[in-house]
Amino acid sequence: MSLPHRTGVRTGRAPSLTGLADERASGALLCDAGTVYLRDGQVVHAESPVAPGIEVLLTTGGRLTADSWREAVGRTGRTGGVGRFLVDSGRLSGAELEICHLGALFDAAYFALGHGSGPRGFQRGAAHWLGPVRPVGAVAVERETRRRGELLAALWPYPQVDTEPVVLRRPDGRAPAVTPRQRAVLALADGVRTPTRIARELGRPAFHTLIDIRRLAAAGHVATPRSARPEHPDRPGPPAGSAASAPPAPDRGPGAVVFTDPDIDLLRRLRDALEAAL
Amino acid sequence: MPGIDECLLEAMTVNGARGAALIEWTSGLALGMVGEVRDEDPEATAAETAELARMAAEQRAFAALGPGSDKSGADPDEADGEPAVEDVIVTTRTCYHLLRFVDTAFDSGVFFYLWLDRREGNLALARIRLRDLCGRLALI
Repeated sequence: MSLPHRTGVRTGRAPSLTGLADERASGALLCDAGTVYLRDGQVVHAESPVAPGIEVLLTTGGRLTADSWREAVGRTGRTGGVGRFLVDSGRLSGAELEICHLGALFDAAYFALGHGSGPRGFQRGAAHWLGPVRPVGAVAVERETRRRGELLAALWPYPQVDTEPVVLRRPDGRAPAVTPRQRAVLALADGVRTPTRIARELGRPAFHTLIDIRRLAAAGHVATPRSARPEHPDRPGPPAGSAASAPPAPDRGPGAVVFTDPDIDLLRRLRDALEAAL
Repeated sequence: MPGIDECLLEAMTVNGARGAALIEWTSGLALGMVGEVRDEDPEATAAETAELARMAAEQRAFAALGPGSDKSGADPDEADGEPAVEDVIVTTRTCYHLLRFVDTAFDSGVFFYLWLDRREGNLALARIRLRDLCGRLALI
């Protein structure tokens, strides 16, 4: 609903966020996995299909009713002042709006600007219906996006757990205990829902749920599906003897495992670990 | 209706206050920072402080125990993911560090961080000021 019309998209070389910030541009930076909105070179909002929007965050937890949200958008969405209206009408405190807004902004920016996505075009002059709330520098957004990627890789360097359906797994007795927030994630893990869908149903930022999923996968509470290679092939593998040192193949039923694509890195680490143990 | 910056600046009026920040403990992101910076990389400092908050919020050892909670230490109020811990206090030879969890009616995972000069600050008073400030941050 809020994605800008694709007309007027600049063609040619893909624009960069920092380049647009340097020229103090205003508009929508269209990326593979989301949109980043700029005003006078500052990031005023971001959206991504995989990150729950600010309306999901505010209504799922019950902070605002869906009716109250619809009324705010209906009244002020066209003029781009929904955020201002929510505060001025006493529905939210200024700090609440800013906290929720920044949470949604950095969450969506991680997917729009992060690994596997990037800018495709820039729609000059496009503005978001929320209106400016708390603009952030483009450099800070890029730095945070990078930090988030490194944080996930440090927790469990298997990015496939971010996008595959979450499959429960019985860990061994030494696995770390599940936290209350993680319990809520596990309760929705039915082998069909993906982490971002779980985030949406819980009304949580998607990145926060990815942190939980990576921790749960590292502890062996959820399965790590097979993939060609880990995020950092040079990084040493998980500690030998940990609950899930060898990511198990997804259970696709008997006879479904086809070894067309041996994971060389995994085999090499396995051999090294065995040699070290002998 | 105050925003993040107004709340941070108000925290800086606490006696001995040297710096304040609003940080997501779930991600380590600083949403706002004012005052002195303890080292060259304030974002890394925020992420480290967030890690301490996360440990306190998630460790079962600190889950609320009392009327209405079962013996496992799981707090029924925690079903929504809000930590049972109210605040975390670290004292060093020169400073007090206060971390106060902010209760919002949406899933934010945010805490307020205030650090004080130990010679000028009063820990008990600062804790009460911070509690009041966090209570007014959200319209609950």
